[in-house]
Amino acid sequence: MTVAPSGKRLIPSIVAISLLLPLLLAGTARSADLSASSSTYLRYYQRDLGGTKYTYAPLYEYLSADAANLGGAPVALHFYGWGRVDLSDPSGSGKESGGLGSAYLEYLHPKGNAQMKLGRFFLTEGVAVETLDGAFFKVTTPVGIGISGYGGVPVEQSTLDNATTAGNSLYGGRLFFNRSGVTEIGVSYLKEKGPFQGKDRELYGGDLWLRIAPPVEVTAQATYNQSTKGMASQRYALRVTPGSRFDISAGYEAYSYKDLFQTAVHPAFISSSLFDNTDKVRTIFGVLDWEVVSGLTLELAAKSIRHDNVMTGNANRGEAGVRYVFNDKKDVFGLSAAAVTADQEKNEYQEFRGFVTWSPAKFHFSLDALTQKYKKEIDGRKNAHQLVASAGYKVRPYLSVSGDMTYTQSPTFQQDYAGLFRATLELGTATGGKK
Amino acid sequence: MTRRAPFAAVLGAVLIALFVGCSAVSQTPSVPPKHPEELPAGRVDCLECHKDVSSGALKPYATVRHSRVFIDAHGTYARQGQNLCASCHAPSFCQTCHTRKDEMKPNVKMGDRPDRRAPHRGDYLVTHRIDGRLDPGSCFRCHGNKVDARCRECHK
Repeated sequence: MTVAPSGKRLIPSIVAISLLLPLLLAGTARSADLSASSSTYLRYYQRDLGGTKYTYAPLYEYLSADAANLGGAPVALHFYGWGRVDLSDPSGSGKESGGLGSAYLEYLHPKGNAQMKLGRFFLTEGVAVETLDGAFFKVTTPVGIGISGYGGVPVEQSTLDNATTAGNSLYGGRLFFNRSGVTEIGVSYLKEKGPFQGKDRELYGGDLWLRIAPPVEVTAQATYNQSTKGMASQRYALRVTPGSRFDISAGYEAYSYKDLFQTAVHPAFISSSLFDNTDKVRTIFGVLDWEVVSGLTLELAAKSIRHDNVMTGNANRGEAGVRYVFNDKKDVFGLSAAAVTADQEKNEYQEFRGFVTWSPAKFHFSLDALTQKYKKEIDGRKNAHQLVASAGYKVRPYLSVSGDMTYTQSPTFQQDYAGLFRATLELGTATGGKK
Repeated sequence: MTRRAPFAAVLGAVLIALFVGCSAVSQTPSVPPKHPEELPAGRVDCLECHKDVSSGALKPYATVRHSRVFIDAHGTYARQGQNLCASCHAPSFCQTCHTRKDEMKPNVKMGDRPDRRAPHRGDYLVTHRIDGRLDPGSCFRCHGNKVDARCRECHK
């Protein structure tokens, strides 16, 4: 079973790296491009659990650091991690926790996007969407044929201690062909050794991007589960982008519970009381993004979800919204409404949302209101409301502070107020932009 | 054939591939690891400056324009390569949402950025029961084998 190091061991590491970072900046600034970002959050909320009132004040620190162009070579070091310390009652399992998201060395060849990674990193490559402790390489030849490969220990975590656990090792790769501006087509393979319902995780995948004509493209991806001998998931979409202000897409998506969820380490997906393992889902979807006039964008989305299992029933979701960008594109006002209609009343609801941001000078304010109306009562209530108000100030070009107040009324909460204080520090030695 | 022979054959093939590969890497310039210009606040539109096809990533900039269509389907594009993404987004940007055991929902971290399409707004403890029944595959992509500790409180 592969689990992350405990928070108790990670927090000192994160703190140590935080302290060492300024030294690294001072020592290597001449040759390397360095940037570091620290986001500190202090949350405050109360809960009444079984007649006992608990007060929570978790303090979170998220730290990311990137050092590129090390020694004048196209080599970079990336780090991302977080830690929590509770200042009041334990908000999770224990009063401390943490996680190492990524810590890896990366080589980016100046030509052909050839690259290598070594360490812990988040990887998306063909059928793989993984966090991995290991190595990755990718190279493309002059004729457009390329290959990638990876291997290591998957960074996963099971919610169960003695049932389905995470895998022991993972490796795979992708063979692809691309032609500039026209197509990229790939086939991929992944194998993870582990007790996934008594079998390894073994997937074959295919992916396609094809530009039929300048404004028309097709994308496709499909995954075959070798362990269950069945097609796990498929997604095909047609997208049309005439000009720079109109973007429309429609497609088809399907998956099989038995073949997709075989690899789950989350018990919900393999629970017979929650899901019928023989069910299959087929979805037709459409999305539109149209900048009607400069700054004003209309967004429409719809999908029709069809289940093989009549007990689950089918459903349709429709959504319409507008976004208006103003104040030199720094601020946004948005309104949206969505409705889910379904065969079963317990699956039907409507959702309405409005938000606005306003950033005069060094200040930043935002307001976000969300209402949901359920067709059938959930825990005695038929609606939920949430309002998030935020105010912030840029103390220095590299330091911002802000505070959020959240009010929630829902089937879970009769009335809940939660506060959050946020401090963000951005340091860097290089020019150029990253988000 | 001895038991070591397949291993030696694979190793030899890898070494030959590396030797040939190093001299046969595409000469198309890679996407720069960092966007050369400062990026403005808010959602950036690549098409304001860039036209035609991105070098390295070899896809038109219109394909990666950050419209609702692209954001909904960004995983499809990321599965074919992350270099163009990484030119503007630090690795930690992806992991704001694509995390393994994070305890804070993305929309809580970004409560001051309602314009971002952060998932699970509102009291999602309630709504996930419906969305999970109707389309559990959409949950599985993030929560299937990268479970956060919060799930454990109910899903034991």
